[in-house]
Amino acid sequence: MADLGYYKMHALIVDDFENFRGTLYKMLMDLGIGNADSAASGEEALRFCKARSYDIILCDNNLGKGKSGQQVLEELRSTDNPCSDSLFILVSAENSKGTIMAAYDYEPDAYLAKPITPKALDQRLGRLIEQRVELKAVHAAQKSGDDELAITLCKELVASGSRYANACQKLLGQLYLKKNNLTAAEAVYRAVLDNRELEWAQLGMVKTKLAQNDLLGAQQWLENILQANPLCMKAYDLQADLYKLQNDSEGLQNVLQKATDISPLSILRQQALGDVAQQNNDLVTAANALKRAVKLGENSCFDKAEVHSLFAQTTIDLFSIDKELAKPLIREAIACVNNLEENFGKTNLRKVESLLLESQLQVCAGDQRRAQDALASAQSSLGDTKDEDALSVQIELVRTLRLIGKTDDAQRLLGDLLHRYAGKEEQLQRLDVLLDEPRSEKNKLMVAEINKKGIAFYNAKDFTAAADAFKTALQKLPNHIGLRLNYVQAMIDKLKTRFESSVSEKIQQTFTKTSAIISQQHPQFQRYRQLNDVYNSLVRAYEKDKRG
Amino acid sequence: MNSPSEQKNGNENYGQTPIDFSFVLASSVHDMKNSLGMLLNTLSAMMTSSPPKDVEQARFFSVLEYEAARINGELVQLLSLYRMDENTMSVVIDEHHAIDIIDEQIARNDTLLKSRNIDVQVNCDSDLIWYFDNELIGGVLNNLIVNCARYSRKQLLVSATEENGFLCISVADDGQGYPDNMLMGSLPQTPVSFSSGNTRLGLLFTRKVLELHKSKKGQGYMTIANNGPLGGGVLKLYLP
Repeated sequence: MADLGYYKMHALIVDDFENFRGTLYKMLMDLGIGNADSAASGEEALRFCKARSYDIILCDNNLGKGKSGQQVLEELRSTDNPCSDSLFILVSAENSKGTIMAAYDYEPDAYLAKPITPKALDQRLGRLIEQRVELKAVHAAQKSGDDELAITLCKELVASGSRYANACQKLLGQLYLKKNNLTAAEAVYRAVLDNRELEWAQLGMVKTKLAQNDLLGAQQWLENILQANPLCMKAYDLQADLYKLQNDSEGLQNVLQKATDISPLSILRQQALGDVAQQNNDLVTAANALKRAVKLGENSCFDKAEVHSLFAQTTIDLFSIDKELAKPLIREAIACVNNLEENFGKTNLRKVESLLLESQLQVCAGDQRRAQDALASAQSSLGDTKDEDALSVQIELVRTLRLIGKTDDAQRLLGDLLHRYAGKEEQLQRLDVLLDEPRSEKNKLMVAEINKKGIAFYNAKDFTAAADAFKTALQKLPNHIGLRLNYVQAMIDKLKTRFESSVSEKIQQTFTKTSAIISQQHPQFQRYRQLNDVYNSLVRAYEKDKRG
Repeated sequence: MNSPSEQKNGNENYGQTPIDFSFVLASSVHDMKNSLGMLLNTLSAMMTSSPPKDVEQARFFSVLEYEAARINGELVQLLSLYRMDENTMSVVIDEHHAIDIIDEQIARNDTLLKSRNIDVQVNCDSDLIWYFDNELIGGVLNNLIVNCARYSRKQLLVSATEENGFLCISVADDGQGYPDNMLMGSLPQTPVSFSSGNTRLGLLFTRKVLELHKSKKGQGYMTIANNGPLGGGVLKLYLP
């Protein structure tokens, strides 16, 4: 084999077994690699990688406690560090890339199956480094941001019949997409596909079609891919992008649900599912996805404080519609908010936020004393601030006061806030979440539009579409009684056409929530009572029918 | 979709519901693989810390290593077959160099081939590219080489050529050839015989992997024959 400059190279070995580190070290030395360091855990490896650049990283996937090899890779590739483009080889006892690939989004340069023999390491490393050397100028151009040069170099390599023409084609497609040269990107992918239906080129076509805003074309390519390989996670991600472009939040939730069913270990997809299900007011799905996202966040660079807060908030919201469904989540949610500061850094606002969420969760857990204690410490830490940054925490405070039963205090604080931010659209939009009728222009308009759309569907007797329309506002304006009752009315008519227990359950949940926020003086109280009566008689009739 | 009745509780599967044996098997195979990984690691550590003192010890080590590697290979096949059955096997066809996959599998079995004094010849144009899932085909080729290493005397020939629009990878040995009942066609249809010691898992796996390779030209297949180029058996894999 040609001299590939092994003696100049610096490798990093990551494995939790000392023996294995020793064996690999010896193999690398025998191959003539200049230098090799060893790390016993993912955390240690990342410290090393921040300090210097490595040419080769040989990392075991299963590293015992702490980060996995895959999580080390994700962090190296998604953050700024000297090893972001090191040659990364994921070593695994499981030799199937299928299982690993179905689980994650970032791919290593190669997989190597244990047991590793010196000859196999030599052969694999040789090929990988040969490719690196051949594509060195392309990578350098890419790294310096000179995409035009990278494109020219790739084309030259393809034209010269390089052994790595296939890799160059893949790169070319990506580069053209990045430069938004869609005609050229399509030409690259079409040329490959004319010869053979390769998945990466089909995925490239989807990306091109999405960029061209040809959503129908993108959909057709996606269907082809998923028909041939229902485990193609990248296709699910692109399908999710497509639904986002179409503002189809139901479709988005469905595809994320499918993707997380197939590969539950992807934190990013669990986070996205939690988010969209929460927006869709599907609180059970949201809370469970967010719980998994929090758990997966333990060792992941993609963990975010907002996901933890949203998990707690969703659990609290779920409790307000169905206590039984929320119960199994409460303990974990409390642990999660208690660790907020430890996981994401100490700030006063974060402390107040975690105390307020804890207070509400303690109400859900039935522990009034702890709830009062947490509220009291939150209030004393927050003080009487007029800082705009404190608004989201103050909104949380209003919620807590309401849940704990201090309605007057809640109303007073809310009144103060509305007074302070009068005429300030952005802040009013955020405060609308606490109000029966929105004060911000944007949300007033939204309510008007949703009502118009929903009522049109309702009059056309499309009750499902009507309910879906009203539902979209339930999370944004959870205290809007008019919308809530419109939703219930559409659902009741849906139930009349065909009795489905899932629909009945949703109605029951909405009533539970409404009864907690409506007062007898409310102008729609009469309507609420009537709808409740209609629903109850429907359920009675159905049960009688079932028995008879 | 989200009714509470559908929330799985973990333990309720063990009540009246029958045991899903393939699932149990797959889970325990997974555990076995982890244990075996430990065993292989410890074995190689032991060989480093106390190298064999004589030829006999070296042979013991090589037998241990070979048998452990064989179990490992079988378990990998078993898991793959389970995934194919469950439709959770991801097949990713891409362009690869035929020589790479051949070199890789020969390198993987270097210790075994050396300990048996088997000389391997490769006959493959280094520019020959084709379309396949390199991991699955690599697994098939690995089994073939391990198997042939057992039955050949001192020579093995691995070659790859293009034949009528198919890639043909053939593995020929100088052993006494395949038994008649294997040459008859209809491969793993005969009931698995545990008593003969040959469960034909390898053939089943090979056939399944080949079936997963399809194109407009057709799908993958294999042939088995005797009196090959080295006088013994020759097994050919055809990929569209």
